Amino acid sequence: MNRTALVGLCAITLSAFATLAQAETIRIANHGQAGINAMKSTVARIEKKYGITVEVVEYPSPDKDYMTKLLTELGAGNAPDIFSAPTTAYVADMVAAGYLAPIGAEFKAWDGYANFYDVAKQLAVSPDGETYVMPFMLGIQEIYFRRDVLDKAGISTEQPKDWADLLARAAEIKEKTGAYGLLFPAGVSWGTGAFDEGFQHLLVGSKTPQLATEDGKLDLTGEGVKDVFGVYKELIDKDLMPTQPLLGPEPWVIPKYQMFPEGKLAATTCGSWCYIFDWGRESKNPIPDVEKVVGTWTIPGQTGGQYVLANLAAPWGVNAKAENLELAKKVLMEIGSVETQVSYAVQIGNIPASKAAAQDPEFQKLTELVPIHAAAENGVYLKQAAGFATVAEGVARATEALLRKETDAAGAQQILVDYAREILGEEAVK
Amino acid sequence: MVRSTYEKRVARQLLLILSPSLLLLLAFVIYPAVYSVYLSFTNEALTGAAALNPRFVGLRNYSRLLHDAKFWNSLFVTFVFVVGSAIIGQFVLGLISAIMLRRDLAFKQLFSSIILLPNAAPEVVAGFMWISMLAGGENATLSRIVMFFGMTPTDWLQTFPLTMIIVVNTWRGIATAMILLTAGLSTIPSEVYEAARMDGANPSQIFRRITLPLMMPTILLYMLISAVSTIAVFGLVYALTRGGPGGATEVISIYIYNQSFTAFQLGYGAAVAVVALVISLILGIAYVRAMKVQV
Amino acid sequence: MTDFALDKPGKSRRPDLMAYATLSLISAFCAVPFFWVLLASLDGNAQLFLSWPREWTLNNYVRVFAEEDGARWVFNSLFVVGSATLLVMVLAGLGGYALSRTRAWWKQPFLYAILLIRVLPPTALVVPLYKILLTLNNIEGNLVRMVIGGDHARAIMRWIGFIDGYLGLILVLATMQLPLALWIMKTFFDGLPRDYEEAAVMDGATMLQRIRRVLIPLALPGLAAAGLFAFISAWGDFLLPLILLSSPELQTLPLGLFRAFLRVNTIDYGFLAALAFIYLMPAVIAFGFARRFLVQTFSGGVKG
Repeated sequence: MNRTALVGLCAITLSAFATLAQAETIRIANHGQAGINAMKSTVARIEKKYGITVEVVEYPSPDKDYMTKLLTELGAGNAPDIFSAPTTAYVADMVAAGYLAPIGAEFKAWDGYANFYDVAKQLAVSPDGETYVMPFMLGIQEIYFRRDVLDKAGISTEQPKDWADLLARAAEIKEKTGAYGLLFPAGVSWGTGAFDEGFQHLLVGSKTPQLATEDGKLDLTGEGVKDVFGVYKELIDKDLMPTQPLLGPEPWVIPKYQMFPEGKLAATTCGSWCYIFDWGRESKNPIPDVEKVVGTWTIPGQTGGQYVLANLAAPWGVNAKAENLELAKKVLMEIGSVETQVSYAVQIGNIPASKAAAQDPEFQKLTELVPIHAAAENGVYLKQAAGFATVAEGVARATEALLRKETDAAGAQQILVDYAREILGEEAVK
Repeated sequence: MVRSTYEKRVARQLLLILSPSLLLLLAFVIYPAVYSVYLSFTNEALTGAAALNPRFVGLRNYSRLLHDAKFWNSLFVTFVFVVGSAIIGQFVLGLISAIMLRRDLAFKQLFSSIILLPNAAPEVVAGFMWISMLAGGENATLSRIVMFFGMTPTDWLQTFPLTMIIVVNTWRGIATAMILLTAGLSTIPSEVYEAARMDGANPSQIFRRITLPLMMPTILLYMLISAVSTIAVFGLVYALTRGGPGGATEVISIYIYNQSFTAFQLGYGAAVAVVALVISLILGIAYVRAMKVQV
Repeated sequence: MTDFALDKPGKSRRPDLMAYATLSLISAFCAVPFFWVLLASLDGNAQLFLSWPREWTLNNYVRVFAEEDGARWVFNSLFVVGSATLLVMVLAGLGGYALSRTRAWWKQPFLYAILLIRVLPPTALVVPLYKILLTLNNIEGNLVRMVIGGDHARAIMRWIGFIDGYLGLILVLATMQLPLALWIMKTFFDGLPRDYEEAAVMDGATMLQRIRRVLIPLALPGLAAAGLFAFISAWGDFLLPLILLSSPELQTLPLGLFRAFLRVNTIDYGFLAALAFIYLMPAVIAFGFARRFLVQTFSGGVKG
């Protein structure tokens, strides 16, 4: 009898310990110095509000290495409770793998929900109709150009009307100034950049603006895909964009941090963060008077129109195997708050997904971002489907072949189609 | 009888003191190797639906390998890398160093210390140092050197990626070759040389007729050792090029890593790994045979 | 005519000049890459390219320890690699002795098998290795939580965990160095005369006494060689800590270096070079000690 009682007592004590421990710590993954800084105030706020410890685990900074580590741990079941996906492209696959906990119900019930832009809410919806990520920041990209360089050479700084106009402008820049005319990220070492910061911006304005079919498959055979590669092909073959640095290990460093500030590259795609992070006050190689000297164009459509492509910037999700799901979801909502959004805007220069940010005094100080935030209402987006990460890698490989002048537009499309078929299987690719 | 019981006990005790090593090797080397073979028959992945429900796919990964141009490319790149750096680069420079250092030179110690130095540099550090050497632009060390000789500089890791990683791996391995070949040279008795000189052989004849043939076993052994260890080189290439540009330096260990950890296809990565294991094992068995060790 | 022949001292000066020139060239090739790390680490305004510092400073080194967790990285690296080395020395000392003295059937297959282990490419093993360590880690974690409770479980697991813990990395690093160390020790014991042991046996010494009194003192040179090689190789390993460690408290030098290289878009080369130099030094020192063992050890394989 005594023994049974003792064992029972032990069991009770143990379970008490266990629950105690579960309630105490939430582990969140973060990577990159700017991202860690942006989360600092949020972490403190969460710890205070819920009386818990938030442990921030620093992961390798480049997106590829971050994903390697994160997915290894998710697959193994020892990943942190809350983490971000570097781009939307990874989300659908992570959902398919069962790594993310659904948060739709909590997100909709949360009082911040109503203020979110529709485009952000839509982007967060996965192919199965459920929401798995907090779409708290938007990445909005445009073409940034050196107004001073163009003005001096007497080149028009008007918004280009269509692709042909854009390419003609790039050629004119090259001809009159000797500088490279236009950069679209390309190649394997830029990671998902070739897709996220280049390809899809052109694609949404092409003849076939979506990749996901109604039944959630991928259609990569559209004419638009070929035409987009055609734009790359022309930029590369006419030597309008710097191709050598793109083949190196940190392809963005030379064009964005050296050539553009020096005026040797006159236009490039870039995100709202570029005014702050790449060439502005947070930069190590700032362009003086950046807001005046650097202008922006939206990306024109193939035959006209203007397209502002909105992306989720590093959306956060909850580990489906988190020990305390409920608490983790509460913490996630805290990450969605306007304060955190503004903190990210300050540190990284992304666009808050909540309309309420417009009223925030801290955000109002970011004069570079305010107009972009206001325009986010009209953002277009790519419908998500499982396999987007593979498409991103396929686009990277296809553009790499273009960079190396090994193929033409049709051949690049074939590389993309073949790669997607090979990785995802015939059945997932139309 | 007493003697025999004692011997049995000793045998048991010897096995006992070996068993911790045995256990670690079984758990962390043998079992993973066997498990790789199993993984290679599945579509296990790190993300996507296959991560949730991995399936047994039979030989599909292997049949995919046959048509995978990047796989054949990586085999070819590995072959060139091994031949270029281990069989030619390290060997030639190692042999020259070994022969020269047998002379009674001033600064002999200094020379051999410097030649040993690259071997001590951890892979990541070696990678950084060579990024500085080989970067693009006119300021990189190699560019300055070739400009001194009136040639045009280039972005070395872009223009000659495979040649450059061969150079870097050669740099790192001269010491191993030098040490092994020095050991081999010291086994040749000096009477042989004296006899040859009496017969009026000139130095190059001595080298071709005596040194080389007598060194052949050592050379063969060296080549096997360095070939297998070069197949396993990972960190150096990873730090320098990550296999790029366009797969030009995607040696098989990098290709395995890329398939498993950047394309997240664990099953397919394992199939490539099994091929690498088989190639290494064949070379390894040749190595064991060549050693003809009495154990 | 180049003089490739050996053992012809002092016959002419010309071949010596050739030798000096060739060796100088090879040495230059070997040494030049090191200059950048050394100079950049002392340069207040270091760049990716080799240049003579305009302003000499130790500030980069100071920053490694003051601004970053340099001291922790150094400690972690020394602790993990040091422990792994000790473990290798103990296991290889015992195992090498067993392999040298046993006459059992498994002796030859075992020795050949561990030679083959040395040729397996580590990337090929990483995925399954991770899975095994994870299984062990989960079992252990549950046990720890049952016995001690969840409160301190994470702190304890940081020391004895298989994934993201010191123990796991130490064991795996040690295992990877074992084959070479076992061979070194086996060869070493083969060369030791058995007289001493037999005398001890006559005196009725047990196996333990035999090891402690006779073998350890005699085996020290061999153990030093095995330990140094294990240390150098484990010190340079990058893949295993990369895959196995996550917690900031456990970061080692190669990871700190890798992260410093990739953290921000504009790289701080002075800091990077200082960190690289700190990471380089222990390996170079160990190599200095190991030099005299190198020739003996490798020549062991050449006799056949």
